[in-house]
Amino acid sequence: MKSRTLKNPEDLTEAGAARKPAGFRLADWSWSWSPRSEREAGDAVVTNFLLHWFPNKISLASLSVKYSFWLGTITAFLFFYLVFTGVILMFHYIPSVERAYASIKDIEFAISYGAFLRASHRIAAHMMVAMVFLHMVRVFLTGSYRNGGLARQFRPLNWWIGLVLLVLTLFLSFTGYLLPWDQLAYWAITVGTNIAQAVPGYGDEIRFFLLGGNEINQNTLIRFYVLHCMFLPLIVTGLFLWHMWRIRKDGMACDDRLALEERAQESRPTPSKTYSLLGVTAGRTATVEASLVDEDKHKVRAVPAVVRRITIVCLLTFALTSALAVWLGSPLEEAANPMVTPNPAKAPWYFLWLQELVAITTIRLGGFTINGGFLGGVLIPSAMLLWGFLTPFIDKSSRSAVGVWFSRERRLQNTIFIIVCLAVIALTYLGTYMRGPYWTVIWPWQAWPEFPPQL
Amino acid sequence: MSSSDNEQPAEGGNPTVPEKSKEQGVSRRGFVGSAGLATVGLALAIPAAMSFRSVIPNVLYEPPRRFKVGALERFTEGGVFVAEHRVFIFREQDTLHCIGAICSHLGCTVQLAKMPDAEGGFEFHCPCHGSLFRADGTNFAGPAPRPLDYYTLEIAVDDGQLIVDKSRPADKLWRLTVRS
Amino acid sequence: MKRDQLMLLVSGVLSLLALGWATQRNASPGYLEYQAEFRILVEEQLGPEKAAAVPAGVQQIWVEPASRVDRCISCHLGVTWAGLDDAPEPFRSHPTGPLENHPIEKFGCTLCHGGQGSATGLKDAHGWIKHWEDPLLDSQLAEDYKIPEPYAFMEMKCNTCHRFDREVEGMSRLNLAKQIVNEKGCRACHTINSRGGTIGPDLTDIGDKHPEQYDFERLTNFPSVFNWQVGHLQDPKAYTSDSIMPNFGLKTDEAQAVTMLMLSWRKHDVPLELLPITGLKDEPTEAEAAREKMMLEGDGRFFVENTCFICHDVSSLGIFSATKIGPDLAQAAEDVPRRFGRTLEDFLANPSGTMAVVLSKQIILTDEDKAEAARLMHLAYEKFKQQKADAEKETDAATSTVPASDGEPASQTHEN
Repeated sequence: MKSRTLKNPEDLTEAGAARKPAGFRLADWSWSWSPRSEREAGDAVVTNFLLHWFPNKISLASLSVKYSFWLGTITAFLFFYLVFTGVILMFHYIPSVERAYASIKDIEFAISYGAFLRASHRIAAHMMVAMVFLHMVRVFLTGSYRNGGLARQFRPLNWWIGLVLLVLTLFLSFTGYLLPWDQLAYWAITVGTNIAQAVPGYGDEIRFFLLGGNEINQNTLIRFYVLHCMFLPLIVTGLFLWHMWRIRKDGMACDDRLALEERAQESRPTPSKTYSLLGVTAGRTATVEASLVDEDKHKVRAVPAVVRRITIVCLLTFALTSALAVWLGSPLEEAANPMVTPNPAKAPWYFLWLQELVAITTIRLGGFTINGGFLGGVLIPSAMLLWGFLTPFIDKSSRSAVGVWFSRERRLQNTIFIIVCLAVIALTYLGTYMRGPYWTVIWPWQAWPEFPPQL
Repeated sequence: MSSSDNEQPAEGGNPTVPEKSKEQGVSRRGFVGSAGLATVGLALAIPAAMSFRSVIPNVLYEPPRRFKVGALERFTEGGVFVAEHRVFIFREQDTLHCIGAICSHLGCTVQLAKMPDAEGGFEFHCPCHGSLFRADGTNFAGPAPRPLDYYTLEIAVDDGQLIVDKSRPADKLWRLTVRS
Repeated sequence: MKRDQLMLLVSGVLSLLALGWATQRNASPGYLEYQAEFRILVEEQLGPEKAAAVPAGVQQIWVEPASRVDRCISCHLGVTWAGLDDAPEPFRSHPTGPLENHPIEKFGCTLCHGGQGSATGLKDAHGWIKHWEDPLLDSQLAEDYKIPEPYAFMEMKCNTCHRFDREVEGMSRLNLAKQIVNEKGCRACHTINSRGGTIGPDLTDIGDKHPEQYDFERLTNFPSVFNWQVGHLQDPKAYTSDSIMPNFGLKTDEAQAVTMLMLSWRKHDVPLELLPITGLKDEPTEAEAAREKMMLEGDGRFFVENTCFICHDVSSLGIFSATKIGPDLAQAAEDVPRRFGRTLEDFLANPSGTMAVVLSKQIILTDEDKAEAARLMHLAYEKFKQQKADAEKETDAATSTVPASDGEPASQTHEN
């Protein structure tokens, strides 16, 4: 590999030779940011470990902002940014009941850039939850969980991995919530884990296992800490890599039609490409099919086009996260106090729709009570998740609807999906901004009641 | 954005495009590209620098370097070891001096060893690698590269306690004289 | 694609701007400015040599045993310096009096002053922020509550450690409050430091009661726990209508002092090495212990348990009312027939006047209770006569002109 890149590019490039200035060029030594020839672009993908997960060429359609909004990339960036800031915060945070709160105070007040790092971590976590959700909405509404008719595609698998990643993201955020050990943390976890208690039959056991006891204490803190810093990030990283690998195997849904159209036209002779015997016999795989698309018309080189766009997306996300972090900061309430329940005590915002459901679905008919904890806290979310998993099989739309926003063929399920999403968003909003003391509704035009101080 | 994508589908990728017609564009694009690349580099370097700065502590949870060790009466003739602060305080009638108990080799705590001779002499022995020091702190055997440290002593103005100031090393002959 | 290059530059610049903002926020903490100012001040007043010793960066006092850290001295730079008594805040020297027994390197700042020690910004450090329940007990606070002494509230902090001391120099308000608590016999109804009655709520940790647990609706002035307690002490029934707590007629400054004392009663985790050597426990004096014993365990405990003592003394049985609204029940056996022309038993069965209301609404007694009450009142009268005779004998025997004081029945009872 090395010997090839070290060779004088003049021997290898056709037109590049004419304009190559004398002296040092990055491309001679590693890979080029803006390659001047096909060869350099290809070399970049081959030589660079990170660029290796891109195809050599990529369709313009899949680069489009209007199609994907780059939500997956944003999510991935946020995840890695969270890992980075999280590791730095681990140098400063002490996961002990006695010292956790004080160590957060130190991060806020005595450590250079501590407040910024913590606020960035918090904002990025909130944003990641939102972005994973939006990414799922995008994939659903474009029908990208379905195969496009190319060989060895199995998009449902990636959709399922995505759903697992969504749940893991929520859980990652939830475990991080406890660590500051302030009132907000303590009571959000109390409420959150009590929702889990509503699981029929094993509720108490599940809560006992989550907390490492009956109460939130040192056991819970170290459990959540290990889950938050090691266990869950490792699983998410693994699933993320699988997610990426599947997208390379399946291809972007928006490319399917392009490939199929081209095949239907069969307008130009197939370039001499070697592909597997299996590929020929069982139809062409997405990778092969994609490589047969008219390159000049529909494709660009991954280096620099994809690299550049990803950099732009990451930078914009970073800029937004940082600006929000400086602007909003991160709150730290009083130290956790099991004696005093804040009024109202709320779960983390992404679970507030669940808390609302629990509150709404407790129905009493005479002496008969439907337990909201079970109905709203377990049954409804489980049904939603199940629907999510079965979606690829419920969908009966034709292949031409794959990778198309709001396809008419999926009108019914899209409508239901949008209604469910809006309901979740509405309930989350209600729970976050309109629930005051004693869980009463406080309208935006009403003043929020404040408890007087001691002195 | 996708519309603009189609305007230049194969930037630099088509070798048949005449180079000269693009030359003007190349230099401008070259500048924008380099500047963009520079911002990317800075956007990576600055958070890295911030993070590095953050792990250099601004405040320390350590005992202070200057501390009170007790009233003068506590220090009678001979040596007293203050374990909490790892120092020996020696008194010879009206003079006091302080020798650190940290071995100059690798930082173990040296022990005061009374000699079996009649004069009541003593040495410092390091338990870790066998370094030996004379009563004045001079190293004479083992791996220790230099003598033990001496620290400055003071009498507190408010309550007359003895103060050791580890931030001010003293000379081997330095003594604090007190009126007895 | 050309646009992408420009876009890259733009997003890169945006990132750098955001980072610049973050850096600017981090790089300009207030204490650096104060330190620069202080350096100039020291140079002018104490000479350049001393100015070189002015520290830079965050300074802190680590109170290890209490797991506290106080960074106040990052700005309050003069605190540990002598000779800056007239310097403007935050550079003034700390008065040396309180520091003699409370060296700053051992106690830090917030243990006595309140505020948020770990903070390094003005608002955060002084605790004038949301979610910080322990604000600086400064002169502004005293002004807000119209208390003339600027640092009156700090006595509450003193009492964290000096809780069991009866009298401490410099704690005039709380000394007064403690005296009131003893005089008014709060312990007859309330448990304080695990001693006392159970008629009213336990007050041992009353300072920890959260504002949420108060009902501020009837409060007319600025709603705060302090105002609620002051108001409640001066007129209990106005705040909780079914309260049986009597009105002790406390003046406002007395009520404020008692409130400060009460709010200082909190669970505190002060390590032994910071506590005063005296008074690690709330020890009553012998007389107090005897008096409390009579109230809670003596013959007259019936009158305490049934809350009669709120208005009535039963002096000969050692029961003393803080309010003395009604007559002494020790003389009831003689008094009732004289005033109402009925026997005590008859009056209790069919009371008239105020007692008719009290015994029908507030103190509900069974017939057995009433019989017991009558029996005890007769007993009390017997004792009363006995005591009176003893006292007369003593006066006759003694050559002294000073008669036995009425104000010391406790010691008399004790002798019996």
